Amino acid sequence: MSFEETVRTHAADLYRYAYWLARDHAQAEDVVQEALLRGWRAFPRLRERAAAKAWLFSIVRNEYLRAAGNRAPDAETLDGLEIADERPELFGLEMRDALAALPASYAEPLALQVLGGFSCAEIADMIGATEGATMTRLTRARQALKRLVAPREHKAGRT
Amino acid sequence: MNCLDYRRQLLCGTGETDGMRVHRLQCAGCASEWQEQAAFEGALRAGLEVPVPAGFGERMANAQVARRRRFLAVAATALVAAGAGGYAWLARQDPLALANIDFVMKEEANSIMMGAIPHAEAQAALAATLPLDRLEGLGQVKHVRPCPFNGATAYHVVLMVPQGKVSLLVMPSTRIRGRHHAEKEGMHAEVMPAGNGSVGVIGIDAAVVDSVAGALKA
Ligand SMILES: [Zn+2]
Repeated sequence: MSFEETVRTHAADLYRYAYWLARDHAQAEDVVQEALLRGWRAFPRLRERAAAKAWLFSIVRNEYLRAAGNRAPDAETLDGLEIADERPELFGLEMRDALAALPASYAEPLALQVLGGFSCAEIADMIGATEGATMTRLTRARQALKRLVAPREHKAGRT
Repeated sequence: MNCLDYRRQLLCGTGETDGMRVHRLQCAGCASEWQEQAAFEGALRAGLEVPVPAGFGERMANAQVARRRRFLAVAATALVAAGAGGYAWLARQDPLALANIDFVMKEEANSIMMGAIPHAEAQAALAATLPLDRLEGLGQVKHVRPCPFNGATAYHVVLMVPQGKVSLLVMPSTRIRGRHHAEKEGMHAEVMPAGNGSVGVIGIDAAVVDSVAGALKA
């Protein structure tokens, strides 16, 4: 597959991944554009064309980190969300708003898993965490989302 | 697999393993959990799939095509600026041309040691691929000898041209399309179709290799 075809196939998911890193549409577009420029230069040296998808997600990540001053998404805790049981106004969110309430360090592996279709081991490699820690983040992210999208009155009644 | 394991694994979103499926089929509680989780995963995907600007994929792909055109335009300009030698920079490593370089590095001394074949024999052997008199029009043919190459017989030629020495490999049974280049350990090679087969020009000076290859093509 040529670089153009590879780009055409994955552009939408790369954009969405960049969005969940940057949380901003304009920045997501810039990040993908810059990443693809770098990727285009390096593509002829990419030996395993089968790995092109993971490689593209990785260069988008690197470009985002470069643009953001090399700051990886903080390994923030979900504590803020865990005590949300006392803040019923947080419940009943739409899924997208609930995702926006997640720290980037939790939203990122979710985006890689669901949009990119990568395994825990692949995600762990990409974000530089252990496989166990990655699985924990994926689980905790889902738990938090479930609480956030739960109907408000139900949760409010429980507190 | 028990209910706790099942639900813990379900929640990492990695999908169901065979072991999990076996458990679900026997456990009503986990089966209903599984159904709920499937609905959640659908909602999660929809939430992550933020709208992408219209035509984004096409725009990004077209930008790559435009870049390649610009790159080729710049390369063509550099080619003109650098003269014939610029060709080497533009071209990519070609396997047959690389094999030609390997041949010269490993076999040339051997071929010369074993001596040249008589002129008439060389003339007859090369006639259908690259007539000897065409080579003699370019310079002095110092040596012609058949050698095994890539499972067939090729003819190793040493040619002295005014700018220096080049080696040629006349390959009567190797057909190729177009002109290709390779460069390895200070040696350059160009291969191209010739008569019923192909020919490689190999030497240490890219400009000399290029001018001989150009003359043979013309
Ligand atoms: Zn069960």
